[in-house]
Amino acid sequence: MGAQGRRRGLGAITLAVALAAGGGAAFAQVKPIKVGQFFDLTGGGATAAESAMLGTEVALKEIAAAGGIAGRPVQTVVADTQTDATVGVGEMKRLVLQEKVDIIFGPIISQVLLASAPVLNEGKITSIGGTGSEAITPQAANFYFSVLINADSQAKAMVNQAADVLKAKSVAILSDSGAQAKSFVESIKAELTARNIKLTGTQEYQYRATDMTPQLLALKRGNPDTLLLFSSSGEDVGNSLKSLQELGWNVPVTGNYTVGAFAETAIKVAGKEAFKNVTGTNYRAFTHCAGAPAPVPFSQFVAKAKALKADAATRLSLPFAALFYDAVYLVKAAIEGTGGKTDGPSLTAWIEENAKNHKGILDNLTPSKTSHFLVGVNALTTVRPDRVQEGGVQERMTCS
Amino acid sequence: MEELTIILVRGLGLGAIFALVAMSFNIVHGSSGILNFAQGNLFVLGGMFAFVVLPSTPGPLAWALWLPAAAVALAALLAVQGWVTLLPLRSSIEQHSWLITTLAASVIIGAIILLTLGTVQSTVRSPFPSITVLGARTPAPYLLVMALAVAWYFGLRWFLSRTLTGLAISAIAQDLDAARAAGIRVRRLQICAFAISGLVVGSAGYVAAPVIAIANDSGIAYVLNGFVAAVVGGLGSNLGALVGGALVGVASMYAAYEYGGEFQNAVSLALLIAVLMVRPQGLFGRPAARRV
Repeated sequence: MGAQGRRRGLGAITLAVALAAGGGAAFAQVKPIKVGQFFDLTGGGATAAESAMLGTEVALKEIAAAGGIAGRPVQTVVADTQTDATVGVGEMKRLVLQEKVDIIFGPIISQVLLASAPVLNEGKITSIGGTGSEAITPQAANFYFSVLINADSQAKAMVNQAADVLKAKSVAILSDSGAQAKSFVESIKAELTARNIKLTGTQEYQYRATDMTPQLLALKRGNPDTLLLFSSSGEDVGNSLKSLQELGWNVPVTGNYTVGAFAETAIKVAGKEAFKNVTGTNYRAFTHCAGAPAPVPFSQFVAKAKALKADAATRLSLPFAALFYDAVYLVKAAIEGTGGKTDGPSLTAWIEENAKNHKGILDNLTPSKTSHFLVGVNALTTVRPDRVQEGGVQERMTCS
Repeated sequence: MEELTIILVRGLGLGAIFALVAMSFNIVHGSSGILNFAQGNLFVLGGMFAFVVLPSTPGPLAWALWLPAAAVALAALLAVQGWVTLLPLRSSIEQHSWLITTLAASVIIGAIILLTLGTVQSTVRSPFPSITVLGARTPAPYLLVMALAVAWYFGLRWFLSRTLTGLAISAIAQDLDAARAAGIRVRRLQICAFAISGLVVGSAGYVAAPVIAIANDSGIAYVLNGFVAAVVGGLGSNLGALVGGALVGVASMYAAYEYGGEFQNAVSLALLIAVLMVRPQGLFGRPAARRV
């Protein structure tokens, strides 16, 4: 199997890895905390999901070596949603009803979470994923949190860049057809109306589309000052920019978080020259100012990820992996903060109340009773996606 | 006008891919009545072959040398698939276990691609620069795959009407029982037809590699649109496959341009329904009597 071929297999594969590294006999008698890794390991969401899973694996290995969570060892069960809502529901049922997991990490695709949320709610399982749809509210998914910036925050950051920096008077939108992208388009429309910027057109593409030429041609007719690109995978970003390049349309592109965090994947598809007119959005914690060193907490995570899985660390998005590394430690803090409880209501209440004090790679977490998005718009910044340092640290557009 | 030219040229390029998959369907279906639903992933496997053997910036010579190897490798694989599919069947016309066998083959090939390449979509660089056609900058693989579709059309036409093996396969396609009664070794020729379809789909995947998604889950789009192209053109007619592929390719590109990307896949299925309602045998198909 090649370097890229390390797969966990299709569907229901249970790793059941007892991560007890040094607990001894007493440790073995304690009931382990069962962690479900509910990720979109195949299909359009695969690259991001594999990155997310790497982050959880780094954290869980560290935690196991340090004695587990609240003195209990950790056992993991892997489920692959195949980036398919129907498969996702089946896998969620397996995790909750059959495997009886205590905690779940994932998914990263909004429609998968929206479909499987009733199972999560019924099982009262706390979960942290990487979805961005505005439809994922605490009412829809009671015990679910997201480490991803929501579509609304991304929309605000992108409109800020288009209006304030590029001085755009008109924009067009190209997005994928996922649930998060649909939320994004709605948020963008509201933001554009508020700022009196003209929307000249919107177009969407399916995951894994390779030729976006017809969509771009349609958008070009409106002659926008800026193109807003919202994508869920680095490959799709690459194919969009490649199509743009082939058309010879030199419109400035303002991209979302994926354009920033998955730039290295996109560069493999479209080449670095395709990023000439492109900016992306990223978490401030994964960026630096030109000439300044990379942020220390993230650099430390990069070293740990490389030590655990060198091959995976070179091809995956380590900033995205870092979000899930933080997520695992947040859940650990919640379980220990509630005296070892693992039920959804207790952990959710603790996270809503105490996450703001949590110090990880990211800080300033801002969940509340009305929003379970852990990160707000203040954590974002605009980056030059093609200016990437080791591990994926990107150069900020503005430093003050 | 320039925009429509771009849509037309790229639509024809995309359509040529569907046409090649449709021809591959036709060859197998004509000789055995089997619709090989693994064609989509086999096509992607041809692309994967290019990804594995070609360097990151391939030269035209290396590319040309590996092309026949890709076709032969897929032909060998399809011969094995054909043998496995046909093995339990007394009659591939009257029994339908091939439906499951070909779908299973598709799943297995998808898993092999996943295990080999991982989850990331693989990218192959074309050794040829983009070419300006009617004022529109067009990736060379689109033009190459159009040429390949036409070449395979004439090549198959010659083979099926001018060679002894081709004539025997044509005889099977016309009347399997009569061909068997005449002493034609039907099973061997059916496996040969599978291998020929491998040549077509393997070369198609290899040539189109720079413009397709090489991933474990991308085969479904190609098999679906290839099947639509085959049925729209008339199952069994390679001329129909050529025309049907072009129609599906251009229609899906135009739909995305004029009405939005969300209509890109829907339009090919709408085209299928429209053709089936007006002309159930397809544009170039022949109505056939059915024994009741």
